[in-house]
Amino acid sequence: MKISKGLKVIEKGWIIKPKGYRVKYQKLINSELITEYSPDLEDKPLDSDVVAWRYAWKLYMATKSDSPEISDGELINIFVVDDSDNPVKYYATNQLEVFNPREINV
Amino acid sequence: MDGFSAKIAQLESTMSLYGREVVIAFAVVVFGLILIKWINQGLKSVFRKLPISPAKGATVRNVITVLMSAALISFVAIHLGLGARPVVRFLAILTLGAIAMIVVFRPLIPSLPFKVGNTVKIVDLLGKVEATTILNTRLRTFDGKTFFVPNRKILDGVVINYHFSDKRRIKINVGIRYDQDLMKAKQVLESLMIEDPRVIAKPAPVVYVLNLTNNCVELGGRCWVDNMKYWVTKCDLLEKTKYKFDNEGIVIAFPQLDVNYYNKSGAPVCTDQNRLQGHGESFESKIK
Repeated sequence: MKISKGLKVIEKGWIIKPKGYRVKYQKLINSELITEYSPDLEDKPLDSDVVAWRYAWKLYMATKSDSPEISDGELINIFVVDDSDNPVKYYATNQLEVFNPREINV
Repeated sequence: MDGFSAKIAQLESTMSLYGREVVIAFAVVVFGLILIKWINQGLKSVFRKLPISPAKGATVRNVITVLMSAALISFVAIHLGLGARPVVRFLAILTLGAIAMIVVFRPLIPSLPFKVGNTVKIVDLLGKVEATTILNTRLRTFDGKTFFVPNRKILDGVVINYHFSDKRRIKINVGIRYDQDLMKAKQVLESLMIEDPRVIAKPAPVVYVLNLTNNCVELGGRCWVDNMKYWVTKCDLLEKTKYKFDNEGIVIAFPQLDVNYYNKSGAPVCTDQNRLQGHGESFESKIK
């Protein structure tokens, strides 16, 4: 196998390089829980997971409430995903992290 | 004395004949220069909003300023009684002479190795070039300070122009303790660089063992990014390196010195191990 081919094999198998990151969250609109992304799916994603996690944390801090019920405008289940919508581990803890986790009662 | 009085009388008669025109011409010149300056400032703020480079904007403004100044001088000269044709001929000769001087001497004049808008490092100053004049260059650093650097200093020294390269190499140097898993540390650092979307795939990121120093094994991570993303990517990678090493249990070394004290027979009196186990005398009791 040529080295260039070998390198392509390594590139595909060893480390997945995402094309970008988005913050995924849910919020209550007219008593309905909607899933949204920031930036939107039509817009260009963020190119840094550090920036994405920081942004997610700031969204959480700006919209959190102490009420046990989900209030209007509150963002819940906030975490970072890659361009394939796969959750991305929080770089500080190397674990999957969710800000403001809430269970959704169907 | 008579000669001086005659000159005063001559001046008085000249002023009575032409004084009004001279005063008007002077007032027109002053007002005209102020107006040109205002127009220049207005054009500067307009060009700032337009999608043109600062260098082109400055050139256009300078050309307009020169044309307006020439028109002002022509108007004043004609008002003072000079014919329109001689004035135009004089301005034409002046313009052609200036162009000839520029063409002849331009190759001989050393030019600055940057343009307005470039990010450069001059001596120890890193910033963006805002303007260049014949004598100095105005540089604005990223913390908001404005420096006026003499062009002579620029031409005599080394200038780094970041505008010419579209890619830059990031260095992530980190030292780990000798008792750490070196292979694991290299793999962690390399994977960190590879998985960042901003890091370019070719040339591929690599990790080298740079040095075996007194207190650490120094690793050097190298990867390439776009010039515009260099700074933020470097800071992000450093932050992630620290966290990832902590999470993987790799200890980053810091300068430290182990001191072991032995007695005359060669037995250790006070080592870290002995002290922790409660054995041996303290170092302080020995040196008293």
